[in-house]
Parts: sequence; structure tokens; C-alpha cells
Amino acid sequence: MFPTPMLKCNSPSVFLQVTFASFIMSFGLCIQVGIAYPEFQQFSEKNSGRTTNCASCHENATGPAGNGSGQIGSLTIEEFAKLNEARTAFEPGKDVDSPILNRFGDLLIKKLGKRKVLEDRKEPAKLASDYGFQSDIDQDGIPDAQEFLDGTDPQNQHHGDAWRLFVVNINRYAPHIIAAAIGVLLLDWGFARMIGGFMAIKRARKKRST
Amino acid sequence: MSSGHPRTSKNLLSFIADRFPVDKLNFHHMVEEKRVPIHRMSWGYYTGGLTALFFLIQVVTGLFLLFYYQPTVSDANISVEFISHHVAGGALIRNMHAWSSSCMIFSAIVHLLTAFAMKAFDKPREITWISGVLLLLITFAFGFTGYLLPWNQIAVNATKVGLQSVEDLSQCLPPFLAGLPRVLRETFQGEASIGQSTLGRFYAMHIVLLPLAIASLLGLHLLCVQLHGMSKGVDKETDKSERFFPFFIFKDLFIWAIVFLGLFTVSICVPFDSFLPYPLLAPYDPLAATPPGIKPEWYFYFVYYPLEMLPFPVIVALSNILMAVLFLTPWIFKGTSRRTLQTLALSATAYLIVMTLFGEQIVHFVKP
Amino acid sequence: MMDTFLFIALPYVAFVICVIGTIIRIKKWPVSYSALSSQFLEPKALMWGSVPWHIGIVVITVGHLLAFCFPGLWQSMMGKAEILLATETIGFAAGVVCLAGLIVLILRRIGSSKVQAVTSTMDLIILGLLLAQVLLGLAVALHYKYGAAWVSGTASPYLFSLFTLQPNLQFIQDLPVAVKAHMVLAYLLILLIPFSRLIHMFAVPLQYVFRPAQNVVWNNPRHSEASEANYQQEEARREFIKGAAGITLGCGVLAIGTVDKVYNFFFGPRLSAKEEEEIMSTRLKRLQMTANQRKLELERQTSNFILVSALSDLKANEGKYFIDFNMNTAMAFAGEDGLPILMSAKCTHLGCTVSNQVDEKGQVLCPCHVSFFDVKTGKPNAGAPAKNPLPMLPWAIMDKRGKVIAERAASGQITGDTALSSIKECNVYITRDLEGKA
Repeated sequence: MFPTPMLKCNSPSVFLQVTFASFIMSFGLCIQVGIAYPEFQQFSEKNSGRTTNCASCHENATGPAGNGSGQIGSLTIEEFAKLNEARTAFEPGKDVDSPILNRFGDLLIKKLGKRKVLEDRKEPAKLASDYGFQSDIDQDGIPDAQEFLDGTDPQNQHHGDAWRLFVVNINRYAPHIIAAAIGVLLLDWGFARMIGGFMAIKRARKKRST
Repeated sequence: MSSGHPRTSKNLLSFIADRFPVDKLNFHHMVEEKRVPIHRMSWGYYTGGLTALFFLIQVVTGLFLLFYYQPTVSDANISVEFISHHVAGGALIRNMHAWSSSCMIFSAIVHLLTAFAMKAFDKPREITWISGVLLLLITFAFGFTGYLLPWNQIAVNATKVGLQSVEDLSQCLPPFLAGLPRVLRETFQGEASIGQSTLGRFYAMHIVLLPLAIASLLGLHLLCVQLHGMSKGVDKETDKSERFFPFFIFKDLFIWAIVFLGLFTVSICVPFDSFLPYPLLAPYDPLAATPPGIKPEWYFYFVYYPLEMLPFPVIVALSNILMAVLFLTPWIFKGTSRRTLQTLALSATAYLIVMTLFGEQIVHFVKP
Repeated sequence: MMDTFLFIALPYVAFVICVIGTIIRIKKWPVSYSALSSQFLEPKALMWGSVPWHIGIVVITVGHLLAFCFPGLWQSMMGKAEILLATETIGFAAGVVCLAGLIVLILRRIGSSKVQAVTSTMDLIILGLLLAQVLLGLAVALHYKYGAAWVSGTASPYLFSLFTLQPNLQFIQDLPVAVKAHMVLAYLLILLIPFSRLIHMFAVPLQYVFRPAQNVVWNNPRHSEASEANYQQEEARREFIKGAAGITLGCGVLAIGTVDKVYNFFFGPRLSAKEEEEIMSTRLKRLQMTANQRKLELERQTSNFILVSALSDLKANEGKYFIDFNMNTAMAFAGEDGLPILMSAKCTHLGCTVSNQVDEKGQVLCPCHVSFFDVKTGKPNAGAPAKNPLPMLPWAIMDKRGKVIAERAASGQITGDTALSSIKECNVYITRDLEGKA
């Protein structure tokens, strides 16, 4: 009844006991829920070596089942209507506003259609390419699909793969960084000249004393 | 009155008189006359100044953060989020605070190691050394208390683990002291489980108590440094040296400017939170299970990973020995040559690097 | 017709004459390629006139050139209110400085007989034109505010069209007369450059700043020592001036950057109504969570029984989290015998909250340091970091009317009617560990 997580990974560095434990946890958190698709989360974690949770696509970090906020147990009648409408989005192109999904989840269903999402469960990596690398909900410069592959939060502007963010932001903030560099260069040139001045005074004193 | 008493007090007096020579306590001696030796270890003289730069940045950015941070369990997390996502310049300032804190601890450790390797603790600089060790401990305390303030999953759970470790000390104590760690933990925690009282206490420590402590100790530390001048640093006496003012101080400023540029670039480009998995950044929920991957900040790895591998009492014993060695260094290594000290410092550095970078793998290797 | 002449013909004519005239003058009369200084005739007023004038006009010219040469960058910068305000202020201040200097220079030309002797008619014309130009500029800045912003949509594209030889007057058609006059005067001044002292603007002695100090070599040995010292002293002075300039400029740039980053920090963000609403609702939600927490605390202070769940809702494979009397997390399972299992979820190792998911071995996992605890006994697996079992909590089973049917004491002893049929409909409570407290 409970699947034993199989870990096959080329870089042992990232898969340690803690991560191992996280797998068990995440299986536990999502597998309970018949309607959620933990395959994608498992893939994201395996691909990135980072721990993730259901909040990648769902409103609630523990998935859609339960009675917390954004979970099925706490929906109002209007929200249920929305949920049922969202469930009919089998083909792509339908605007989705599901109360249990976050914006990334909604967009996934809209772009792929539910049928395709269900199909991709067998091959979770395809979800990223099917979704495409254009949309960037949090505007941090890393496309949502890439954030899914990286195991980072697609809805948080201040969360992403550190190196990718560095590359994006160094371009984004280039004027600021260049201006700061100019300021620092001027400052350092001034300091160097000051040292030069004191050196000259030292030489002048030496000449005088001889 | 025993005859021993006057002699002890006389010894103490002369000890203090040697460390604080009144005739040298003047601007002329401490600034104008001070010289800095030039040799292959000279770069070590800049590490202290860098730590000071990071501290200054911490003070300034910390003051900025105070404008918006709210130290209550209901609002702490959202106020931090508010700073990052809505306040103009807030993300930069917060990142700078986080990056600079790590840099400060890093440079403080490097400073300690170089000072050790250069035998900068030798007579009459014992007080400089001890105040320096205390400053490092305070810096760690800054890191520990500041970690809790965003009140997210990693913050609260890591603090929980940290405080629980304090209580675990009781297994290593004699029975009549066994209750003490619990009292200690509850004093820091303020209530039965970690909550509003803990946050309030950590906040008070982080923004008032520790800054006061660090400011006064830093004053003493700098006074001692200026009073006794730079230690010679190498075994072989060099005749080359430069004046502290203006040459050394301007070189110091030169380096500060470059380091500031680096810090600014990193802070504006890489959010510090990016290194953590995002489930750990969610607001703390007292009713949920602890999420996986709870770890302290990287600068505690050198004690955290051994803690994972070795029995707790062993770690306690080792850290007690380390503390004793650190505080007694000026007397233990009195006669040791700088060559030996350098080897020791290098091996300590190697340990710190290996444990910080590969600790996780080592734990995995030892305990599969 | 008039516009075509003033804004298309005139600029081209002025530019061509300026270039050709300057070249001819430099080739033919290279000595005259200067400002014809009258400093030795009258130095005092000159300093108070010339220095502010030049500082002001350099700042203003640089500003105008930036706006014309980099309209895109300029516009994006002026889009920020604080930069626009700063630019306008700096520009206007520089204009006033210019004006003050110019007035001193004019008074000097008129007032000093020595200077008058070397003053040509062209000098007076140029002074007059410059005065008019500065006054016009100030008037435009005062009357048609934020010129730094609107210039990139009017004068900049017009000038650009001139440079690309496709003059387009559309851009400046509706500009006020004062602005147009300001332009015409500018063309006139450009036209007059080769015929006046204005030509000295092409002879800025920039190399003066960078050339090394002059070392006067003495043949007399008594002097040579002193002169070397003096030379070093001079060298030091230059270095300090450069150093001070570098530090001032560097600090200035960094200060501008800092102000740019933190200027708006103190005013708080300007949020849209939707953002405001979102933040408010989150804050309210968090406050409610805290309030619930406080309620739990109070309940645990005052009552001896706390409801955990209906017995029938408990599951064997998934624990239900609740808060015990010490405000720690605990969980409840359904046991095989139909009785509840209530155990602390606070890991006995370092206090993490243990997972509530039971695996196939009947264990729950603490994720922090990977200890597995047996659900039935609370015991950790062999070799786990946790050494002590999770404590079992005392419970009571009460029927709907609040009558205790069965009970588990802290010691583990179970009393009462544990028959499934009689407890099936009942609720599970935790009970205060009265014996343990005492």
C-alpha cells in the first residue's frame, strides 16, 4: 500500500538521509490524496535535489485534501462551483480559476488541458516542455517551467536557482552595479592618490633632512 | 591578613599595568606612531578591519529593517515578506543584512585563525585575544538570535532544535546540576514551548543586548589593538614596516570599498533565501509536522555535523575543550613557534572547510 | 517660412560656418585660438565671475548634451520623480550660478578701464547673447516646469532629425516662443564661435590636470636639494587634490546610488487596492491563527479534559495532530484493539514534530534526524538518534453526555468498559496528568 521510494541519482551529494526522509514525507503527504498528482513533485525533487511540497501547484502546502485553507474540506458553495468548472477543462485554452490550485497550477491546466496533465504523469519531465518556457509568473527572470525543474518556488520573486538568479539579475541591475563600480573605482583611485601624496610628503621630508 | 594576599593583588596590578601602560595611552602613540610590519603574512592584518566593515553594514541595514519588522508571532513573517516584496529597496537591504552576517562570521573566523597563526595573542596582547574570542561568540549569538526573527519553518524549527540541545546538556552534568540546562532553555524560551515570549526575548537580545555587548567589547578590543600595535606576525624579524596612519588605514579603506562592491553585487543579484528549499520559507505553523531538511546556518555546520555523527557527550566534551583552549591560548601556546601555530591554524582551517562543504556527505558516509 | 529658415536653414548654416571657421582660424591664426585672457589686468572680479560662470555652464551643457545624445536613457531616468526633481533643481541652481557669474563678468567689462581697453565689440555682443540665453533658459525652467522630462519628446527628436538630414519641424511646432527663442539664440552662438573668444571652448587645458609637476632644475647645488624637496611637496599637493577629487566623486556617486535605493524606503510602499487587501487578509488570517493558539492555551489551563476527536474518526495509518497539555504537538491513532493510541509527537531527540504518516512497519518518522518510532509502543528503532520512546498520553473516552466510559491512566493502566460496542459512538479526550503533576 505504501510505495518504497526508489532513489537512483548520479550525484549522491544531494541525496542524503534528510532528503530521503523528505521523500517518505512527501509520498505520505500527497499519496493520500487520490486526486493530486505526486509524480510531478517527486520528479521535481529528483531532478533538482531540493525538497519541495504541494505548494508548487496547489494553494495548500499539504495538497488539496483536508480542511485547511485552499483544501477541499473548507470550500464554500461558490468555490465548489469553481472547482467543478475547473475540472471540466480537459482541453487546453480554458481559463481556470480553481480554489485548490495556485496560479501556476491554474496556468498549467489552462495551457495543457487536464487530459495532457494526466498523460504527463507517466513522464513528468514532459510537463515542463509542454508548458513552455515563456510564462514567468513571479517575474524573477526564470520561467515557471524551469522553476519546476529546479524545484524552486514559481510564485516567489525572491526564490530561484541561485546561479540562474545571479545571471538574470546581473543583467537586470547592470546599470546599478556599473554605477556602484564606477563609484568604488573613483573612491579607490582617490585613496591610492592619497597614499601617493603621503608618499611624496615622506620623500620631501627625507630630502629636507638629508 | 595572609601574606599571600598583597602579593596576588600586586601581581594583578602589574598584570594590568603591563596590558594598559598609561604612558602609551595617548593619540600620539596609538595612532601617529603606530607601525604595521610588512611581510608575507601582512594580509592577515586586514581581516579584522573587514569584520568591522561587515559589522557596520549590519548596524546600518539592521536599523533600516527595524522600520518595518514586527516582532510578534502573528506579524513577524508577514512583515519580513512585506519588506522583501513591497518596500522600495527592502529586498536589497534584507539581503545585504543576511549576506553581510555570513560574511561577518566568515571574516571573524579567518581573523581568529590568522591572529592565531601570527601569534598575535602573545604578551602583552592576552586581553586583545580574549576579547576577540568573546566577540566571535557574540557574533555567533547574533547569528542564532537573528535566524529566528523571520518566524518561518526553518527559523523556528532550527531554533527549537538548538534550544533542545541546550537541555540535552543535562545528561552530561552531575546530578545536582542536571536541572540547570532546563532552566536555561526555559529562560531563553520564555515559555513551555517556543512562542511569542521566545521571539520577544530573541528580538531584545538581537537588537539591544548583543549590540551593547559587542560595542563595548569592540571598544576594548580596538583600544588594545591600537595600544600594543600590530604584532610582528612572523618569527623572523622584518625591518620593513609602514605607518598605520595614513598608509595602512587608506589601504584598509581601499579594500573596504572593493568588498562593499562585491557585497552589493551579490546582495542585489542573489536572494539569500534561494539556498533553502521553499517549503522551509513558509510561515511557521505550530500544528504541522516539522518539514524535512531543518539545518542551522552554514556557520554552525562545523559543530552540527559532528553532532550528527558522534554521541552528544563527546561533542560537549570536545567543545568544552575547544572553549578552554581558545580562552587559554595566550598561556598554552606561549612558547610555541609561529611555524607550529601556522600548521595548527592550517589544519583547523582544513577541518572547517571540509566539515562545512562536505559535512553532509561525511555524515552520509559514516551513517549510511 | 520663418520657421523653416530659423529651425532648418539656420542650424545647418551655423554648424557649417562653425566647423569651417574654426578650422580656418586654427590653421591661419593659431595664436588666437584662446580665450584672450585678461587675468593679469584684473584678477579679482574675474575669479568671482569666471569660476561660477564656467562651473554653471559646464553642468548645464552636460545636461543638455545628455538629454540630446541619449534620449532613451534620459527619459527612463526622468520617469522617476526623485531623479526628475533632482535634475531640475541641479539645472536651475547651475543656471543661477551662471547668471551670477555672467553679471559679474559684464560689470567687470563695463567697470574696469583696463579691461575695457582690450574689449572688442564682439565680446560685448557675446556677453549680451549669453545673458539673454541664460535668462531665457531660466525663464523656461521656471515657467514651463519639468523641461528635463518633456524635452525628450520635443527638442530631442527634432535635433535628431536635423542630424539625420531629415529635418522634421513637427516635433517643435507647438513649443512656446521662449523655448524657440532659446534655440535660435543657441544657433547664433554656435555661428559666432569662430569669430569670437568662444573658440576657447575647443582649447580646454585638460592635460594640465594630468601633466606631472614641473621640476625646476638648478645648477646651484645648494638649491638642487631644496628644489627636489619642493618638487615632492608639489607632487604631494597634486596627489592630494586628485585624491580628494576621486574620494568626493566616488562618495558622491555612491551617495546618489544609496539615496536612489533607500529614498522611498521610509515612505512605505504605494500599494494597489488589491495588494492592500491581500496583505490585510493575510494579516487577519495570521492573527486568527494566533488567537486560536491562545484559545488552546487557555483551554489547557482551565480544563482537565480536552477533546481530541470522535473515536470513529481516528485512523490506523494516519495520526490526527492535536495539542497536549504542555502546548506540544501530539497525535492520535486508532489501535488494533479499537482503543485510541495517543502519543506525543515531540521527538525525544531534539524536539521536532514527528510525522503522522504510518509506514508499512507500523512506524512514524521524525524528519529531522531520521528516527522511526513504533506507533504501538512509541519506541524508537535501534540505532536511531532518539533514545527514549515517545511518551504515551493518558486519555479518557466519554459518551455524548460527558460520562467517562473508559480511561487510560498515565501509568498505562486501562480501566472502564472497553467493549467496542459501548465506545463506538464516543469521543476521545486527553486528560490532565494529575498524578504526574503532583
